[in-house]
Amino acid sequence: MEFLKRTENWNITYEHALGETASWFYTKIRDDAEIYGRRCAESGRVLVPPRAFSDQTLAPTTDWVKVGPEGVIEAFTIVYDAFKNLPPPPYAFGYVLLEGADTAIGGYFKGVDLGDPAAAARKLAIGTRVITRFAKERKGDVLDFWFETV
Amino acid sequence: MRTALQVGMIGCAFHAPRNHDTASLEEAVHQATHNALRDAGLAIDDIDGIVVAANDQYDGRAISIMAASGSVGGVGRDILCTPSCGEHAFVLAALRVGAGQFRTQLVVSWSSLETTTLSEAQRLGTDPYFHRQLPIDDLSSHGMQANALEARVPGARDAAIAVTAGSRKHAAIAYPEFSAGPVDPRVIASSRVVRWPLTEGMVSQPAFAVVAVVLGSDAFIAERGIGQPAWIHGMGWATEPGFLGDRDLAELPSLRSAAQQAYGAAGITQAESAFDVAEVADASPYQQLLALEALGLCQADAWQACIGRGDFRSGGRLPVNPSGGALSFNPVFCAGLMRIAEAGNQVRGQAGRHQVADVTKALAHGASGFAMQYNTVVVFGRDRKEVQQ
Amino acid sequence: MKAPRVGIIGIGQSDYKSRRDDANYPELVREAVALALNDCQRSLQDMEAVVYSLAPDALLGIGNAERLGVDAVGARNKRFMRINTGGSTGISSVAAAHSHIAAGACDIVLVAGADKVGECGDSQTIMNKIWDPIYERSLPLGTITMLAMSALRYMHKYGMTQEDMARVIVKNRAHAALNPRAHLRKETTIEEVMSSRMISWPIKLFDCCPQSSGGCAMVLASEAYIRANNLEAVWITGLAHSSESYYLGDRMGRGYTADHADAHALGESFQRSYKMAGITDPVRQVDAAELYAPFSNTEFHAIEAAGLAPIGRSPQMLKDGEYFKLGGRLPVNPSGGTVCSNPIAVTAMVRVAEAALQVWGRAGAHQVQGAKVAIASGNGGDHQFFGTMVVEA
Repeated sequence: MEFLKRTENWNITYEHALGETASWFYTKIRDDAEIYGRRCAESGRVLVPPRAFSDQTLAPTTDWVKVGPEGVIEAFTIVYDAFKNLPPPPYAFGYVLLEGADTAIGGYFKGVDLGDPAAAARKLAIGTRVITRFAKERKGDVLDFWFETV
Repeated sequence: MRTALQVGMIGCAFHAPRNHDTASLEEAVHQATHNALRDAGLAIDDIDGIVVAANDQYDGRAISIMAASGSVGGVGRDILCTPSCGEHAFVLAALRVGAGQFRTQLVVSWSSLETTTLSEAQRLGTDPYFHRQLPIDDLSSHGMQANALEARVPGARDAAIAVTAGSRKHAAIAYPEFSAGPVDPRVIASSRVVRWPLTEGMVSQPAFAVVAVVLGSDAFIAERGIGQPAWIHGMGWATEPGFLGDRDLAELPSLRSAAQQAYGAAGITQAESAFDVAEVADASPYQQLLALEALGLCQADAWQACIGRGDFRSGGRLPVNPSGGALSFNPVFCAGLMRIAEAGNQVRGQAGRHQVADVTKALAHGASGFAMQYNTVVVFGRDRKEVQQ
Repeated sequence: MKAPRVGIIGIGQSDYKSRRDDANYPELVREAVALALNDCQRSLQDMEAVVYSLAPDALLGIGNAERLGVDAVGARNKRFMRINTGGSTGISSVAAAHSHIAAGACDIVLVAGADKVGECGDSQTIMNKIWDPIYERSLPLGTITMLAMSALRYMHKYGMTQEDMARVIVKNRAHAALNPRAHLRKETTIEEVMSSRMISWPIKLFDCCPQSSGGCAMVLASEAYIRANNLEAVWITGLAHSSESYYLGDRMGRGYTADHADAHALGESFQRSYKMAGITDPVRQVDAAELYAPFSNTEFHAIEAAGLAPIGRSPQMLKDGEYFKLGGRLPVNPSGGTVCSNPIAVTAMVRVAEAALQVWGRAGAHQVQGAKVAIASGNGGDHQFFGTMVVEA
């Protein structure tokens, strides 16, 4: 019995509207290398990245709050496996609570030797202080910035 | 035997911004939720559970419920998703209230336009085993169905053109702010062919919309003193097989089954005379013809006569799609839920400019998938259902 | 108001494997359906409705793939709908079927689905696409990295170690060795897990679930139907769902409701299920638990969310030896669980199926002796949607 197979690739392009809130957030990153969050009116929590409304209360968020550039690592991982369409390993990324924010934002951690996983994990332990670094040429994307330990 | 709990539609919102590039999809879904809650006079804390429906390939999100969940009040709540179609979200929500487990449900479905070609996304719906190489998208499937119907019923084309013209006239009153396509039958008939025999004038460009509906149990409705709900008297849903080649595209046995289920539950024996208004599937005018027949509203040999007489026009004996239907505004994935919502609004007296007078019973039909694969029927009534013991 | 009781009368499960080159997707669904129908001696004609369990279409490579499964589940001209809540799809599907019956719309409903995760080129690429394109899609997020971060936070909060995580795998593989349906059945040791390849710190290869192919189906019926037809059944006495914020970063920082280390919404979901089932003291009242945990570390916060251990204490309890193993107290995942078989579209249904088999006394070599009350859970999205169920004899 000869078992046959067919190869298929999914290739669809999307233009995702970012809306006012995300657009403003990204233009500030692109033009001024600054990160902002938005405050939830009911809980007072500064949400980073910013959203037009809080998903806990459904109420609109209110003012813009500048956050960072310093922060603290809340979660991280170091990837040692190659996955299709994802960066070549090893790389470290995770979530950082920037100064002034109440929620953590995702980003890459650079500048740490990832050769020895246990040693690297100690350097990136939860609670480690980091600083946000911005690319010279920015597009208005989360990849315009990353974090380095201080 | 205990009296079955009754479920009513108590709130609704359509969110269809002219320019959908200024807000993210999640923000649009949130707006519709906010509007539907306001329409029902409720706050999100009054909602016990949610059912959403969206198409991952249209949205470009591998699990569309994820990012949307926050928009519809999903945090801390019981939220499910029926990606098969928006109509199924309505059905499941009604079952959840009917089961006595939830006093209210919010139903939200949307159809996004962020993919550069909807057709490409739709073609991924064919199986990779035998049919992926063929250009089968929604429109092609509608075209195939139209051909099958024309072969079975002489004069179907003329009836289709008349139905289209009628719907566009309805849309001019109901939703003049949306471009409804040509109204003149000659223009409809002679415009560019998109998928033989469908002309450009016979269909409507895909549109962006979010549809949100709120359902409540009879106890909840009584407690809150909510006026004029649209009571669900009967609900039916059924499906055709997946391979188009396994079907006779000129027939819709699944719609007959769905109608039978809904009519049985609602105690409807003479569909032709039971309803004051109907909102039925019409992504192409041939869909409406098939629906009229399978719903028992008008047999094929009477189409010419009834349509010619204006039976299904506003002011006629049974207005069909006074909203203008998908023929005039087509938010593809949630078009079916929109039909159900429009029918419910007629009973609630909330249909705005296209409100039919004195609606006590409304019929809703939504169809989704290639060539109307899924069919869902809902019968709404102004008064609570008489329950047989 | 008390709804009529809903019972499970039939169960069918594939033998889960990496690949099933001998069967295409609808055929795999049909296989599980045939097993479930045979189990309760019913035919496809008897089914009044079908709820179809299918998670992301992209994993199968077919948009709205349920449309092709219509014939596999005998649904022509019948009530049919599909559910997708990510990884919790299977348990959400059973819940939807429960509503069909409890609402009085149907007396007998088939729930079915299958997956061929092994056929998909790279499941983590697709899992990256579940994140929103506005903020998080650019990051290399996937289910492994997301739950690696959960492991890290749990370690930070409660002192869990990688050896603790390995102990979960050792336990579950020993259970799976007794379960002929399971995919990974080979027993292992802490040393073997610890020396397996590091994938995403601290999760190693052996800490991860496999990519499984196979199907699962169940038949649910009303109490009236069960009595009228003189059928054996076990009963769904509690069910609920709850969810967390989609934003991982909101489960950290300050003022959060849920910490990404824990499974807060799973706890909420269990509380609701327990309330419905009248369970007030799970430690005493629950005999077996099938908890969805695709990575070793996630079994701990699931155990705690189910109220079977105080928060942060389950790793020590597992280490001490008495708890969570077959033959011990509060056995968790006697089937081997998700880390031994993960046919994504139905994995959470398998949890319900296994819980049902336990209280039915039909779990064979992995039977928990005398089990009368079992619980099941499913997780979906980015650790966001949680379905739970209580099943009783």
